[in-house]
Amino acid sequence: MKIKNKVFITSSSSICCAGKSNEELFKNICNGITGIKKDEHYSYDATPAIGKIESPKSFYENLLVQCQNILDNSSLIDFSETLLILGSSVGGMSQTEEIFFKTKSYKTITPQEHNIDAIAYKLKQHFTFYDDLSFSTACTSSANALGYAHEVLSKGIYKNALVVGADSLCQTTVGGFLSLGVLSSEPCKPFDIDRDGMNVAEGIACLLLETTPNENSVELCGVGYSSDAFHMTQPHTNGSQMAMQNALSSANINSSKVNYINAHGTGTIANDTAEANSIATIFPHKPYISSTKSITGHTLGAAGALEAIVACKVIQLQRVPMSTNLTKAENEELNFSFKTHECSVEYVLSNSFAFGGNNCSLIFGKVK
Amino acid sequence: MKINLEVLDSLLVYGTTAIEELNTKELVPKMVTRRRLTRAAKIAIYLADQISLKSERIVYGSSFGEIPAIATILNSLSSKEQISPTVFQNSVYNTAISYLSMLNSNKGEIMTISSGDSTSLNILKAGAIKALDGDTLALIATETLNVENIEQVNSCVDFLEVGVALKVRVTTKEATHKLSSSNSQKFPSSLIEMINIAKDKAQVVEITL
Repeated sequence: MKIKNKVFITSSSSICCAGKSNEELFKNICNGITGIKKDEHYSYDATPAIGKIESPKSFYENLLVQCQNILDNSSLIDFSETLLILGSSVGGMSQTEEIFFKTKSYKTITPQEHNIDAIAYKLKQHFTFYDDLSFSTACTSSANALGYAHEVLSKGIYKNALVVGADSLCQTTVGGFLSLGVLSSEPCKPFDIDRDGMNVAEGIACLLLETTPNENSVELCGVGYSSDAFHMTQPHTNGSQMAMQNALSSANINSSKVNYINAHGTGTIANDTAEANSIATIFPHKPYISSTKSITGHTLGAAGALEAIVACKVIQLQRVPMSTNLTKAENEELNFSFKTHECSVEYVLSNSFAFGGNNCSLIFGKVK
Repeated sequence: MKINLEVLDSLLVYGTTAIEELNTKELVPKMVTRRRLTRAAKIAIYLADQISLKSERIVYGSSFGEIPAIATILNSLSSKEQISPTVFQNSVYNTAISYLSMLNSNKGEIMTISSGDSTSLNILKAGAIKALDGDTLALIATETLNVENIEQVNSCVDFLEVGVALKVRVTTKEATHKLSSSNSQKFPSSLIEMINIAKDKAQVVEITL
């Protein structure tokens, strides 16, 4: 179908372990101040380093605050003409755990508060949306939600879209990644030769997408999807390369136009080796690269949306953030950003990869 | 906005506790892969074979996801036992369709939607929007609710395993089927619109966005 519209991010709001606002988050990313700490609460026999939101408010109260922030900072009166697109990998799992561990029974679990769309269910109790749907593709959930927003707005199907990436910490994810042996007990070191794993984290990131820009907008220029078709947890370079190539085609730009890549960069051996090799193949002109997960942790289904906000900040402030905890890169072909610095940034590519070999790359650009 | 979808093929399978004869041994000859498959993956693989899916873009969905894996994890955590890494990797909502992509070497776009009781309606809406690009899409939905003590939360579903698949493309033909959420047989309501399309062998469906 012929594309009708350009798509712009006109407002955004976030909270995670590294900041209670977009501004605080980006400042901490640029200054190398991590929100990741050791924690004993989510595992009975290990002390992994994780990223927990420190707030007197509950996760759901914080979710409502972020969505209200979007409304307050937009030209919208309400969300009655807005498509809500949620991306989450665990939905209401933390609430399910709480009930099940207390009662050893499913009896008092409310399905609407357990499922992935538990987050949409909560939001719909406070806001009225035109329609809503929830994506759950593990760690690409909210990147795919952004991709879908790009698709429906560029095709002229809906007037605007609110993308929400939200995942809370729970024992299932912490215990699950522990069982896979991929959690670090320190803030992670993405792409470092001595990296030893990732940090599970929680986060909420909301972005309003419209077809008319405002003065602070960033364009969501393109999206690329692919599947590895290879393994449930081991990545394959063919898949990530295809996602990045598809994103470039969707944005109709040459790879040399990309100035900065916000990598998926989890800090695991498998991801970072494969991703670095893929980037080296697709981007021979050596754009700046960093992973911000050493500051935020891996917010799983929320990561795509949270890192989209980071990409917007890079373009708005023309500032490329440092690769915190990266001392010696495993892949020395790449141009890692070892310190935060000002430079001209026209396009940013943001990668998200997930279990099942689900890949999504997004391209953001300056409004022209 | 309305989009009409032509249903090129469809299939519905269901069982009160389990769907029998999924032909998994023949469809997945490698034992090392077969033994890792979840019930939802086996159903998705069977459906894809029966309606001859190859490398189409797929919109998959499930309201409850991999409930058997999630129940196993909850019981492990409750007993302070380590979670099985295989069970954990099989607990994400896109598990079933990821195994299908591996089996069919499908490297294209594969989405997973989970929207509660609106899951199949939203699969149809997303499928219709994507089908505007002119290709044929596969829409697949499963629920696999057969876990111990499910009766503690289930009083309205008679079929604990259900899978439905539609192969669709956009058409200008007039609709022959109106979307219906009628559910006299007590199927999971999350899949009902797609179930009714498959049951009625609908030819052209109107999707209202």
